[in-house]
Amino acid sequence: MKKSFSVLLSLLFLMQNNLIAQSDNQDFMRSIGKMYVVYGVIVVIFIVLVIFLIYLDRRLTKLENQIN
Amino acid sequence: MRKYWWKYLGVALIVYSFTVGLLVPLKPGIYSYDPGSMNTGQTYTLSVTGYNTFYTKAKDPIRVWLKYDSIHNIVATKVKILDDRKLEASFQIPKYLPTNDRVGVMSLIVDDDHDGFAVMPSTIFIKQDSLDKNTQLGSVSWTQSKIQGIHGKDQFNFPFRVQLSETIRNLYYHVPFWFAMFIIFIAGISQSIQYLRTGNQEYDYKSMSFTMVGTIFGIIGLFTGMIWAKDTWGTYWSWQEVKMNMTAIALLIYLSYFILRQSFDDDERRAKISAVYSIFAFGAMIALLYVVPRMVSSLHPGSGGNPALGADDLDNSMRMVFYPAIIGWTLFGVWMTSLVYRMQVVRDKLYDL
Repeated sequence: MKKSFSVLLSLLFLMQNNLIAQSDNQDFMRSIGKMYVVYGVIVVIFIVLVIFLIYLDRRLTKLENQIN
Repeated sequence: MRKYWWKYLGVALIVYSFTVGLLVPLKPGIYSYDPGSMNTGQTYTLSVTGYNTFYTKAKDPIRVWLKYDSIHNIVATKVKILDDRKLEASFQIPKYLPTNDRVGVMSLIVDDDHDGFAVMPSTIFIKQDSLDKNTQLGSVSWTQSKIQGIHGKDQFNFPFRVQLSETIRNLYYHVPFWFAMFIIFIAGISQSIQYLRTGNQEYDYKSMSFTMVGTIFGIIGLFTGMIWAKDTWGTYWSWQEVKMNMTAIALLIYLSYFILRQSFDDDERRAKISAVYSIFAFGAMIALLYVVPRMVSSLHPGSGGNPALGADDLDNSMRMVFYPAIIGWTLFGVWMTSLVYRMQVVRDKLYDL
């Protein structure tokens, strides 16, 4: 569980770096009327909700182990 | 099924805010122009770049004005359409400005029958080197043309602002989280007060679950704001921006709430102290997020004066997506809360056995 969490976190930061690199090079984030900023924002919402799900999952696993 | 209706409603509203919020196009607007400053008595070719415009589809000739004030303006002598988004307007700037100021600030207006009209307010500077002793002369040359027969379009579009462009849609993916967070924190507070009144452990779990979801929403709001800030203010974290810093402080206060909870072994003491703490944290959040930003200037869009819902900043078309998004995310947050709460209750029962 811990491993998957850290993998997800590193993925998040990787994605961030990727976006920064592209915006420096070709102004990727500001192309097409900055639509990719909206896209990035939606991805962030999704990622935080997934982290919440992972938290719930871990807690529930603990409870299940408790029952067994 | 009957029990779940509000969950489905919340998800439906969120799906609505995503689809409508992403699919509805922006109003046609003026994206850029060149040159930005002119001198009196000369001829200029102003190249204009539009956004979401279809200049080639216009049936009537496109008209372009430089507007000084309600009565003074000049119309472009010749408009050349290059493609859907680009046109060139030739202007014969009169010898004098309508007033004796050295510099006049003009608004740029483009009108065509396909897209409607677009205005770029107060953008082009016109300098006059010699002042007109007889002010009438300048005034007369600026009143030759009238701005009339403007094509108003009544389509369902989101407004176009040059600095925001498409990121104006972030109103549906950033701001609702703050509103939902506030509502959920209020719910958490009411549960804390209920606990202090009754001493029932249930209320403590409810209050804790609400506070957790509110904090998650605050974190979402902060991170979504940071992504947007990088491309609008040029940095992920601006120390000049009061809302950002105050939010960080408020969220730290709420994060310490959870650390506080972990440091108690006794259920009753934990519940009591965290209930009191959450009430104080709520008071601090009100001060930090709703009082302080009103007293200093902010970089946020629509922050002039009252930083909440100014009448000028919210178009009706945006309200139709924005308000459902608030309700949707609030219901979604209550759903998340119920999951955390039910797990707490199960956990409590297990440990009691």
